[in-house]
Amino acid sequence: MEGLVALARSLVTFLHFWPIALTLGSTLVGIMIGCMPGLSATLGIALLTTLTIKMPPNDAILILISAYIGAIYGGSRTAILLNIPGTAANAAACLDGYALARQGQAGRAMGIATTGSVTGSLFGVVCLALFTPLLGEVALAFGAFEFFWLAVFGVMMSGQVTGEDALKGWIMGFVGLFVALVGQDGIHAHNRFTFDINDLAGGFSLIPMLVGAFGFAEVLTAMKDKMAPPALRAFDSVLPRFGDVLRYWKTVLRSGVIGVYVGILPGVGEDMAAWASYAAARRASKESEQFGKGSVEGLMAAETGDNASIPGAIIPALALAIPGSAPAAVLLAAMIIHGVRPGPLLMVEQPQFVYDVVAMCTLATLGMLFFGLFLIRPMLLVLRIPRTIIMPIIFVLCVVGSYAIAQRLFDVWTMIGFGVAGFFLRQLGYHMAPLVLGMVLGDILDKSLRRGLVLSDGSLEPFFTRPICLVLWLVIAASILWQIPPIKEAAGRAAGALARLTGVRDREARPRG
Amino acid sequence: MQSLDNQPSPRVEFFSGLGWITLGSAIVYGSWTMDRLENLNINPYTAPGLVPGVLGAVIALCGSIMAVRAARVGTSGSDRTAVTRAPIFNWRVALSIALCLGFALGLVGRGAPFWAAAAIFLFLHVFLFSEFGERRGQRRLWRGILVALAVSAGASFAITMIFQEFFLVRLP
Repeated sequence: MEGLVALARSLVTFLHFWPIALTLGSTLVGIMIGCMPGLSATLGIALLTTLTIKMPPNDAILILISAYIGAIYGGSRTAILLNIPGTAANAAACLDGYALARQGQAGRAMGIATTGSVTGSLFGVVCLALFTPLLGEVALAFGAFEFFWLAVFGVMMSGQVTGEDALKGWIMGFVGLFVALVGQDGIHAHNRFTFDINDLAGGFSLIPMLVGAFGFAEVLTAMKDKMAPPALRAFDSVLPRFGDVLRYWKTVLRSGVIGVYVGILPGVGEDMAAWASYAAARRASKESEQFGKGSVEGLMAAETGDNASIPGAIIPALALAIPGSAPAAVLLAAMIIHGVRPGPLLMVEQPQFVYDVVAMCTLATLGMLFFGLFLIRPMLLVLRIPRTIIMPIIFVLCVVGSYAIAQRLFDVWTMIGFGVAGFFLRQLGYHMAPLVLGMVLGDILDKSLRRGLVLSDGSLEPFFTRPICLVLWLVIAASILWQIPPIKEAAGRAAGALARLTGVRDREARPRG
Repeated sequence: MQSLDNQPSPRVEFFSGLGWITLGSAIVYGSWTMDRLENLNINPYTAPGLVPGVLGAVIALCGSIMAVRAARVGTSGSDRTAVTRAPIFNWRVALSIALCLGFALGLVGRGAPFWAAAAIFLFLHVFLFSEFGERRGQRRLWRGILVALAVSAGASFAITMIFQEFFLVRLP
């Protein structure tokens, strides 16, 4: 009841002209960022963080959340019309969205994507309101030992599910953890790996690193190959059909649950949520043979899953200060910049803020619905701007954004360094999401391990025997073992044998007619 | 997700692994030789080099696994070397990096007003890429110059006004 009152108070706070105007404006910006292949939600939020640095905290966070939700949704437009996912989260939407577009049902596909995104997002918002206080309460019992394993868990999970090679993901995660430790350490204020460079004493700032890894690296990636502006096909009405929505309510619900669950997992982003929802829908569907050939259910599942994972990713960011995805990591950093202290004490110190975030997500979802239904055609004009024009402008924004945080040229150099390194690492098959998560979790890991060792007087036993620690390290160990080919093959054989055995038993148990 | 065609060759993977081993080892060395603050009587488990040292060792271990894996794939003959891969570096990337570095390191913060620095960079980037990257041989030089001028003037003015006047952000 107390929560409902707080939520109502937050909703009333935001139902004024200025917050609504900010929501609509930033959702539109987010959708346009999402529409443009190459510009990610992470980059959009990082740049907007720098733009909104002087704004009141609630206005700034509202803009970032609206842009986040808008960007993930906006990526589905190009996935459907061009078979090019605007963001990684929309790759699953390409399969059936583009197939529908080729059948002359692009408008219908966009309507389905809009419906799926809105319902997924609203489902996620309900989970955000329900689970953040609960998780915050549980997290109050977490100590240094649990936070150490949570940090390791986040990096390992993110590394494993991003990209095709878990080893590369893990390397990026560990490099991110190390990069976060450069500068004065958080316990004794001793300089680590600063090489007597004064600017390094404060460490690398997160936002310039992110702007470099996601912005400058993306500019270089886009400039590498010549690409003509895409030709857009005409499309029918984008208004969703109620029949499509009601017919697949089970798929929507399942995808919402999967999306939120995947979102909560540290560092596992919206793209995994979309793929997991799509795969689950395909397994459960009566028309699974239609998947990939223009299945309404498949598109609905993918879009519901990725948008449900946005509030899901914000849950651990608020309750544990551990982000569920790369854009949520930037959001977390922005909250800290604006004086919010996410983590287990948030529900004690600033409980209203959690409900403010719920209200912000709700408003942004409604903004997304508005633009999704009524302003699709003008928004797609942005796709006609050649990359040779948009990319240098993005780079200028990267420079301004990096400088704006602390007015230090060192941050611009940081952005350049991480951008060039990020470009070459991408070309070699390394993904940036685990790196980002490592950068965010490095401080938590460092302090938790050292504090834990002090508390246990050097004994590693509590790290392995406390109940939550036990679960976390067992999952981590299993995920590592799973990557070892002989073990993976043996597990596959065992699963196959078990399935055959179960099948034989089922046949024997079946009454003969 | 990257397709298999874009995956680097085992040779590149092997040298990447060696690179990670070198980086990890350097971190371990730097952590080991880092001041342990014994003169301050701190708890030895809070030594500043502890966690970076562990991370360095893990990075070196992962690098070793990568190098061994690449070497095995390379010698087994089941590698993907037959696949034609796009080069990771070409003249477009080189030109873009040169222009971006020239702007960010050579112009910004060196006394020139930001709007002027941004306009020069944008003009050069848009003009060079649209003329030599997209429209080579089409003899549309003047059109390219006009487009680049319009984009550079408009964008540098808009960015300066929006950041400096509307959002009150100081520009370099």
